[in-house]
Amino acid sequence: MASLKRWVAVGLTACFVLALAYLPPRGAESSGKSPFVSQSLWGTPARQHAQALADEWRKVDATVRLIEDRQRVRRDSLRASPTIVFRGATLPPNSVHNVETVMDSVWRDLGLGETKVRVTLVIELQRPYASADNPTPLQDRLAYLAPDSTHRTTCVAYLPAGSYWTLVILGKRDARHEGFGRFAQWLQAGLGPCAFYAAYGTPGRPVQSWLAARSWDVGLYLGAHGIAGERFSSLTLVGDPRFPWYWDGVYSFPPATVACLAGRPSGCRAAVLAGAAEERTIPIPNIVLVERRWWRAQHLLPGERYLGDIARTVGRDRFLSFWTSGQPVDTALAAALKRPVGEWTADWERGFVRPIRLGPMPPLGSAVIAWVIAVVALTVVAVTASRRQVR
Amino acid sequence: MRAILALVAIAAVPTAAMCQRWERQVEERVQRAINAVGTSSRLPVVKRSGMLNTDEAASFQTTLVQGVSYAIIALCDDDCARLQLTLVSASGSDIAKERNSESFPTLHFTAPTTAVYGIRVVMEGCRWNPCWYAIAVVPLGKIPS
Repeated sequence: MASLKRWVAVGLTACFVLALAYLPPRGAESSGKSPFVSQSLWGTPARQHAQALADEWRKVDATVRLIEDRQRVRRDSLRASPTIVFRGATLPPNSVHNVETVMDSVWRDLGLGETKVRVTLVIELQRPYASADNPTPLQDRLAYLAPDSTHRTTCVAYLPAGSYWTLVILGKRDARHEGFGRFAQWLQAGLGPCAFYAAYGTPGRPVQSWLAARSWDVGLYLGAHGIAGERFSSLTLVGDPRFPWYWDGVYSFPPATVACLAGRPSGCRAAVLAGAAEERTIPIPNIVLVERRWWRAQHLLPGERYLGDIARTVGRDRFLSFWTSGQPVDTALAAALKRPVGEWTADWERGFVRPIRLGPMPPLGSAVIAWVIAVVALTVVAVTASRRQVR
Repeated sequence: MRAILALVAIAAVPTAAMCQRWERQVEERVQRAINAVGTSSRLPVVKRSGMLNTDEAASFQTTLVQGVSYAIIALCDDDCARLQLTLVSASGSDIAKERNSESFPTLHFTAPTTAVYGIRVVMEGCRWNPCWYAIAVVPLGKIPS
């Protein structure tokens, strides 16, 4: 009897543990799927509301801080490269000097010198903790304050350093051994649209409207290498075609993006010109907020380097004529490329990925088995039919 | 002595380097243009400068004195391709417009009455935005009546 009670207790405990692990917390919403399928957990409505509110607050806070930085920053007139401002901690002078030296070299690598639009880079160092009096600012998204009619010659980039780069900048992790080149790469990628503003000035209204409509997904990176390494691009993040989740990733993009990955010029054209038909009013302040998972919001893969590659291919003069053109984007871009946009882009896409095959494609084994069954069935029917005799 | 020289040098550098290359370019050009036009009047030369992106416009107002002949000069930096200059009456109607001289439009005008006039400049073509521009209203002298 005692043994039976023990087993009942163990069984009930196991059930309780399983329930704790698998049931959503109180107030959480079901994802609407079958109870037999694993469910993703959602916070309570109150928590979701609080998180959405906090997210909005961080965006507004980041906007206000960028505007304040733009007004407050005093430029070092002798330096052509970006003015760097650190937030979140006071840095020793040698750390500031080290970062400025790397930035000078990044600036030279981009082929930039004195520019009409100057860049201020605000690096937000990771704060140790947040209290109720001192809430956490935006720390996981990049933001840019583009030039506008009140400040035509300043672009401000906001770059959260996170814990890793904060330690590197503070000198607590040796950047020489743990990625000095990677630090330069990180700074270069952090310049984002501001690098384009510096290199080519303020775009004409059609281009500006087009880029604003698609959150600058085709102009996030001016450099010649990958955004986070020599050959690293947003395509790398989609994964390897050998794995089944690759196709889930591919088909989560808009149809035109997928068609472009398949090498279809019409798809590439549609992917490039997404947002070009909209006549957008450019807001003041003009804030570009990059999504946390920016590669998921792209219309073209690897879109982050698309405009940079065009600029290198066609040369400065032709790119400038596109950039400042008052003509529609497709006309101006085709004129700069001297080719139809779709064709040029399809060729560019092939430089990164072998065109994927679209449409239904059964696995080879299943196809062979199906063919064998079909052939056997047809043979049996044929043989039976040939032996039938009418009496 | 060295310290004093260093301080003087540091104080002197920003005035030369604070403004960008393109700003200095238009300032020098407008000064040369004023010198070339010449002025015999004791009235002051009115100067304005700024920067504009393609298709943007800027305007300002100035008082022109009756019977005085003026040269109104506008010019812009090396990246600017076309600049339009317009003289506007107090009521807002266009008095004269110059848009054929690419990056160096000039108007000659003798004010019939002393009044406030508007001067509008439109950046019609800028290869690398923004483009710096400068305007000078140069009094040439009183026309004898």
